[in-house]
Amino acid sequence: MTTHVDTNPGNPPELDAAADGSPVLPPENRPTQSTALRSLTTNTVLGGIGLLFVAPMLWLLLASVDSHASWGIEWPHFSLINFKHVLTGSLLHSLLNSVILAVISTAIASIAGVFAAYSFSRRKIPFKGPLLLFILFSSGVPLTIMVIPVYEIFARFGFLSLFPTAVFLSVTSLPFEVYLMKNFIDAVPIDFEEAARMEQASTLQILRRVIIPLAMPGIAAAAIFGFVNAWGSFIVPLILISSNSQQPAPIALYTFLTLPKVEFGNIAAYSLVFCIPVFVLYAASARLFREGFVLGGGVKG
Amino acid sequence: MTVTAILSDVATAPHVGDLWKTRHDKTRFQWSSLALLTPAFGLLAVLFLIPMGYAVYLGLTNLTLVGPTAIKWGFTGTQNLVRMKSDTEFWTSLWTTGFFIAGSILGVVVIGYGLASLLMRARPWMRIIVGGIVVIAWMMPAVTAGMTWYASTTGGGTFGTLTGLHNTNFLDNAPLLIVTLANIWSMTGFCMLVMGAALRNIPSEAIEAAVVENASPWQRFRLIVLPLMRPTIIAVVLLVALLSLANFSLIYIMTQGGPGTATNILPLYSYEQAFTFNNLAYGALIGNVMVIIASIFGVLYVRIAARS
Repeated sequence: MTTHVDTNPGNPPELDAAADGSPVLPPENRPTQSTALRSLTTNTVLGGIGLLFVAPMLWLLLASVDSHASWGIEWPHFSLINFKHVLTGSLLHSLLNSVILAVISTAIASIAGVFAAYSFSRRKIPFKGPLLLFILFSSGVPLTIMVIPVYEIFARFGFLSLFPTAVFLSVTSLPFEVYLMKNFIDAVPIDFEEAARMEQASTLQILRRVIIPLAMPGIAAAAIFGFVNAWGSFIVPLILISSNSQQPAPIALYTFLTLPKVEFGNIAAYSLVFCIPVFVLYAASARLFREGFVLGGGVKG
Repeated sequence: MTVTAILSDVATAPHVGDLWKTRHDKTRFQWSSLALLTPAFGLLAVLFLIPMGYAVYLGLTNLTLVGPTAIKWGFTGTQNLVRMKSDTEFWTSLWTTGFFIAGSILGVVVIGYGLASLLMRARPWMRIIVGGIVVIAWMMPAVTAGMTWYASTTGGGTFGTLTGLHNTNFLDNAPLLIVTLANIWSMTGFCMLVMGAALRNIPSEAIEAAVVENASPWQRFRLIVLPLMRPTIIAVVLLVALLSLANFSLIYIMTQGGPGTATNILPLYSYEQAFTFNNLAYGALIGNVMVIIASIFGVLYVRIAARS
């Protein structure tokens, strides 16, 4: 800062204020012709990138409401017939399978995860450091590459069906969920827990009445991660579920491409319907993260 | 009484010794912790560690999906490894995977960083629209992303219409490039969000000081922004590498590894060997190669993430 002030001794920027009291920006930040040009360039480049990103989505949007859809993009013969088609019969059944798969998987991972996250956050555990590193490692490594040995084990025990697949999917999201929830439980002040402990509360009561309500944004975000992970999974149910009637929506979507007559409009409509829960849940989790923690007011003195 | 005598008196007094053993100001191991950890670690042991160990053994056997060796199978030593060494399709697949991962990293990091830094200076409505589109592309499940990219790049699709080359099948002409672009498209949003958060954390004093010292924009980027962003960039690079390595769904929907072997990355080749050619053991061995590659990235990722 010193060099700047020295070169403009008569006009130090700190003291320079406009008549209305608002500070005057230093010269390089004043909107001049060159910054206006830069802003124009910035917004043009961004607009270009935005168009490139939106181009592949156009087909999905247009074909889904077009009764005469093809692979091409054209102004649609507007109709909701495609949505009506895909929300009946076996396609609807596949969506329900997806819901069952994702709900079971989310429930298992969240319950097992919150117990583990709590002990990592509060308890003294032997080999805590290495165990946490193992959790972090397996949260980065995609566990779906383990699907062939899991197939062989499941085949031997006759487990190639919906429920065991949901359990395997819960394991693929468990490490990340533990890590996320641990960070949120770490932020819950210990005072609440000590107060509950004074009142002779058991560990399960503390978890249910204190930790889970207070760390809810983190637990919800972790559960959403687990749900989206199971919902979008393709290779795991493809290999681990042997019965066609138990297959979830991603497999049904792929089956469209193997049919002799391609139903373009139905593919687009089904893809969109399949996306909706993911978009809604991501929006909800973004909100959870933005709200963050308001626990500061809970501890007095 | 001397000071030492008092000290020894205190140390030998039985009740004081007991107090040392049962200190209440330090947390001790509680057996209930074991009960709390059992569900998570039980699941991880049964469905992660055991399969991983089992896969090492499976890779060295002659197990098949159907036929006599589906029931009576056994250890065959290094037979599969010898086969892998001379399997040109495996080595092609390894190179294809390398290109796919490297291309994805380059595209995601450059476009993601560019978008994050441009969005900071953009008009609010521009930020919402462009940021929103890129994030929606990231949120889209891989099967849907694969489907819409297939539709857009096949003959008569959106790319043909927009470029005026109506009946060009982009996906057939440049399959590896197109699936890499699709992968970049579906991961840039994540990178943009992470980079944006890291950029906002750079103290403005550092940039202002550089401006005062007459540093050029390139110098400001290279000497201030880049060193401060280094851990974030490395973490993003490793995560993109790990997610691309396992991105079976996107490519399977778009090309199924074809045409020929053009987009046959390791997870697809492993699946093809195991479930199309029925060589479960060889498929498991290819899976083990993926586990080794993923572990290398994973260990590097842990080192970066544990530091911050």
